[in-house]
Amino acid sequence: MPSTQTPPIAGLAVDPPSLRPPIDDATIERVSPDALRARLEAAKADGYTMLLDLGAADYPQRTPRFDVVYHLLRLSTESTNGKPIATPARLRVLCGIELESAHVPTVTDLWKSADWAEREVYDLFGLIFDGHPDLRRIQMPNEWEGYPLRKDYPLRGPAREKSPRPPFALKSNVQAGTPPTGRTLEALQEQIKRARGEQ
Amino acid sequence: MSLSPTPLTPEIVSQEGNSIVLSMGPQHPSTHGVLQIMLEIDGETVVKAEPEIGYLHTGIEKTAENLFWSQAQTVIERMDYLAPSSNALCYVLAVEKLLELTDRIPVRASRIRVLTAELTRIASHCVWLGTHGIDLGAMSAFFYAFDLRENILDLQEASGGARMHPNYMRVGGLNGDLPDGFLVKLDALIEKFPGRMKDLRGLLQANPIFQDRTIDVGILDVEDALQWSVTGPPLRASGIAYDVRRAFPYCGYEQYEFDIPTRTEGDAYARFVVRLDEMDESMRIVRQVRKQLDEPGPIMIDDTKVAAPPKETIALSMEALIHHFKIVSEGFRVPPGDVYQAVEGPRGELGYYVVSDGGNRPYRIRTRPPSLYNLQALKGMAPGNLIADLVVMIGSLDPVFGEVDR
Repeated sequence: MPSTQTPPIAGLAVDPPSLRPPIDDATIERVSPDALRARLEAAKADGYTMLLDLGAADYPQRTPRFDVVYHLLRLSTESTNGKPIATPARLRVLCGIELESAHVPTVTDLWKSADWAEREVYDLFGLIFDGHPDLRRIQMPNEWEGYPLRKDYPLRGPAREKSPRPPFALKSNVQAGTPPTGRTLEALQEQIKRARGEQ
Repeated sequence: MSLSPTPLTPEIVSQEGNSIVLSMGPQHPSTHGVLQIMLEIDGETVVKAEPEIGYLHTGIEKTAENLFWSQAQTVIERMDYLAPSSNALCYVLAVEKLLELTDRIPVRASRIRVLTAELTRIASHCVWLGTHGIDLGAMSAFFYAFDLRENILDLQEASGGARMHPNYMRVGGLNGDLPDGFLVKLDALIEKFPGRMKDLRGLLQANPIFQDRTIDVGILDVEDALQWSVTGPPLRASGIAYDVRRAFPYCGYEQYEFDIPTRTEGDAYARFVVRLDEMDESMRIVRQVRKQLDEPGPIMIDDTKVAAPPKETIALSMEALIHHFKIVSEGFRVPPGDVYQAVEGPRGELGYYVVSDGGNRPYRIRTRPPSLYNLQALKGMAPGNLIADLVVMIGSLDPVFGEVDR
C-alpha cells in the first residue's frame, strides 16, 4: 500500500470551499465567529428546525485555520389532506476559527443533537465549545493526547511515527553476513563442488 | 444527584434519594455492538441514561484522507457494515458532483445502483427485524429474516463479488455489469418476498406479546425528533414524511413510484411498522427497476481520466494501457471544492461532506452518520421507562456501531 507511506497532505493556502460556485443543493453562507450565534438563531427562527450535522475541517495553511460546518435542514410541514408534506431546503453555514482562540459558541441550547457532534469536534480537532454542558472526549479514550483529525497529527499516531517500520531483513542476519537461508556463501560453494564430484 | 459535568461512574451512589448508577454494556448482547449506557436508576425506572460510545472508533475518516479517492471507498463501506452499498453510493455521488460528472452517468448504471441500494435496505432491515425479535424473546422471526437476507447477499455476491462488502459502486458507474443468471435469481427473490413478509408480519406485528412490549414504549414526539436530529424510520414514525429519495432525488428516484410510510405514535411499535412498510416499498421499487434491466447499455462512464478503460482494450491500445496505469498507480484528481451529498440509507439520512484540494486524495470526508444522531435520541427517550424497555428502544433505533464510532 504505497499511499499510506506518504506524509499527510499539506493543504492549500486558500480555502477549497470558496474556489467554486456551489455544486450541491444547499445555500452556503460564511459567517464570522462573532456573528455565528445570531445567524444560527435567525436560521432556526426562519424554519431551519433541524441541525443535520455539525463537523469541522482543518486547513493548516490558511487563516483562520479551522472551519466549523453546520448543515441545517428546513422541513416545512404544511399539510394537505391531513398528511404533512415536506418541502425541504438545506443551508450550510461555515465559520472560520483561529487556532489561537479555538473557541466556538455552543448551539446545544438551540438543538439538543449538537451535544455529541460538538464533543466529537472537540475530541478530534481540539476546538472548545463555550457553554457546552459536558465537553469531554467521545471517540478517543479520555486520557488521549492530541487531536487526531488535525492535519499535523500523524496517521499512525505520534508514538509509532517516531519509530519507523522494521526493515525487511533482520539486523542480526545482516550483521552476521549470512544470507536469509542461514547458509553462508562458502558452505553453498562447498555443496556445489560436492555435487559436481570435484572433491 | 447532579450528573454534569462529571461523567457517570459506577462508584457514584447518590446520598439523597434512592437512585443508583448502573453500567449497561459495552458487552451487553442487546446493544448490538459495543454500546455502554451509564444509567441512573430508581428501582427499575431509568432516571437518566447517558450512552457512552467510541469503543469501535477506528479512525476511518483519517484513514480515508490518506488513500486515493477510489481506495477511500473501501474503508467507507466498512462504516455501516449492514448496508455497505448505501455508504458507497453516497460517497461516489459526492465525488461525481465534485467532478461534475453527475449528468453523464449511464442510465443502466443508475438503475443498477437503485436496485443495489434498495436490496441493501431490505437486507439491513432483515438483520434489524431478526435481532429486534430476539431481543424480545421471539426466536423464529430471526431465522425467516436471515434466510431472506441470505438470498440478497447471494445477489450481492454475484454482482459485486463479496457478500458483506461488495465494493460494487465506482466513481463513474459500476465495477461490472450484472452477471449471467442474476436476473433469474432476482426474479425468484421477487417471487418469494411477499409470502415471506406475510410470515414475518404474522410472527411479530400481530403478536400480542410483541405489541405489549413495544406499544407506548420509547415515545419520541415530533418536537423531540427534530431537536435530536432524528432521521429515517424513527422520524417518519413520529409523523414527518421526510425521505431524501423524495426530497432531494438522486440516481433517478423521481421516476419510481413509492410511498413514504409514516405513523404518528412515535413509539417503538410505530418504528417497527414503518420499517416493515418500508421493506414492501423497497421491493416495489425493485420490481420497477427489474422491468428496465432487460435493456442493455454501458455501466461505466466513457471518460478515461476517471474510469480505467476496459481490460480487453489494454492489450490492443497504447493509450488505454497508459490511462490504466495512471489510474491504478496515482488515481485521478478531483477539482477543489466542497460538497454535501446525502442518500436515504436504511437508518436515515446518510450524508458525506467531502472537501477536495485538487489532489488525488480526499482532503476531508465528514460523515453524517444517521445511527449517531438516532442513538443520541436515547437520552431524551429513556427517562421514565423501565430498564427492560431500554432493550426495546435500542433495537427500535437500529444503531450500527461501525457507523456511530467510525
